Amino acid sequence: MKKIPIVIGLFATITTAAIISSCATTSDMASLKSGAQLWGENCLRCHNAPSPETFSDTEWDVAIMHMRVRANLTEDEAVKIAEFLKTAN
Amino acid sequence: MQNLYRQILLLVLIGFSIHLNAQKDSASQVLSTLDIQTAQLPKATTNDWKPGKSRFLLRGYAHSGLELTDEEFTFVGGSFNPLLIFRQSDRLLFEGELELELEGNELHLGLEYANMSYLLTKSLTFRAGKILIPFGTFIPNLHPAWINKFPTRPLGAGHDGILPGADIGLELRGAAYLGPVKTNYSLYAINGPQLNDGSLEAEEGGLLHYDIVPDNNKNKAVGGRIGFFPMSNSALEIGLSALYGKVGDKDSRYEDVAALLYAVDLSYVRNLPGISSVLDIKAQYSVTDVEEAEFPEPDELGEFHTFDNKSTTWFAQLSLRPAFVENKFIQNLEIAGRYSSLRTPEGAPWEVDQKQWEVGLNYWLDWRTLFKFSYRTISGEAGGHGGGAEEGGDAFFIHWAIGF
Ligand code: HEC
Repeated sequence: MKKIPIVIGLFATITTAAIISSCATTSDMASLKSGAQLWGENCLRCHNAPSPETFSDTEWDVAIMHMRVRANLTEDEAVKIAEFLKTAN
Repeated sequence: MQNLYRQILLLVLIGFSIHLNAQKDSASQVLSTLDIQTAQLPKATTNDWKPGKSRFLLRGYAHSGLELTDEEFTFVGGSFNPLLIFRQSDRLLFEGELELELEGNELHLGLEYANMSYLLTKSLTFRAGKILIPFGTFIPNLHPAWINKFPTRPLGAGHDGILPGADIGLELRGAAYLGPVKTNYSLYAINGPQLNDGSLEAEEGGLLHYDIVPDNNKNKAVGGRIGFFPMSNSALEIGLSALYGKVGDKDSRYEDVAALLYAVDLSYVRNLPGISSVLDIKAQYSVTDVEEAEFPEPDELGEFHTFDNKSTTWFAQLSLRPAFVENKFIQNLEIAGRYSSLRTPEGAPWEVDQKQWEVGLNYWLDWRTLFKFSYRTISGEAGGHGGGAEEGGDAFFIHWAIGF
């Protein structure tokens, strides 16, 4: 197996990731959306969206931090979704 | 301090009332007095109750069911996976999941994952420990029994399948917006897959094994996944993954044998207002390419053979749930179908060329509890064992799964 394409592939992945994190704006789209909308768009992508009354405020703090990592949410998205869930529960 | 006194006083009161009531020798009265006292307890305490920074959730999932095949009609124990999540501070999180399963009469205890995450910036998180490898979408996102739409897994994604599961290592992951396009990314280094050299079982020579401790070499496998959301409502995600590393044992003739794994995955979830339903499509295509090497010939002592060690597996699934119709019963129904295919190297003792169809009807009791009625059929050839081959034929399942 040829190693060159692999090295190029890995290099490309790392560069892309570096470019994204350097020029990305975490606020762009998410800042225009409400917590409810972000919940409706994101929390059903892998499983059914949990309803706000599933958890207490403190439990949501843990669950949303867990999902921020697992489902790759930006900080802005996670904060807004948590706020929505905590006001609607 | 005042709090403490109040709580002690309440406890004394409860204890005292239990004592008094016990003397009256009336069980029902004991209960009702206790009810009143405990009803007062939260009121007295919640007013002053402040959650600390360090918080904890005990969750997880379980499943079991009934399986009907040509040979068997049996209840299966399934498994119970407790998940412990600790939020240590605003930035530090630990997640650990166990897997408890009955195998024969023995309890099998597995460690699904155990890692800590540290939120470095708004769009970057550092993880260390045993992680679910972010390769494709099925293993990291869809395999828990309450998320998987079927009681079975796509070919190649089983416990001894050709897809990577979990491993120990370090990871940087996160999400950010590239203009209007949301992206997510992960880069990681892990111990990596290990090559079976066939010395113990010639039938398995050339297979890759995942999630094995201790490591077999000094080389670390590196990999990454990058996901794009081309639509502004995040309905569509396309992901590209790769994993590369040397897989042979140190100081063996396989020391320099390397493997490259890559995958493309897709997720599309949207409401279809016309039919008041949610449509969910998931797909994944992946290739495992191991450098060619010679492995012991089964049944012929001292002889070696070789083959083009490349395997491919893919699946596509679609489900539809009329979640927005008026009728409560129909709202909770979901139909699902999945096709998967597994092709392992021609000429390998573990050669497999199988296709699987799964169709199912699910009934949801809540967002994470469901009954699955499903039919599965597997066709094709499976030589020897290993390689993720499944028993062929048809099977019918009634399973329940609960996430908590
Ligand atoms: C990328 C896929 C994905 C997305 C998107 C996602 N989840 Fe999850 N979620 C999971 C997986 C996988 C689990 C199961 C964790 C396990 O058992 O290992 C889970 C579990 C949960 C749980 C159970 C408790 C826990 O923390 O494990 C809750 C609650 C939850 N998700 C809420 C949410 C919310 C709210 C959102 C929207 C912000 C969301 N999820 C988006 C994949 C996802």
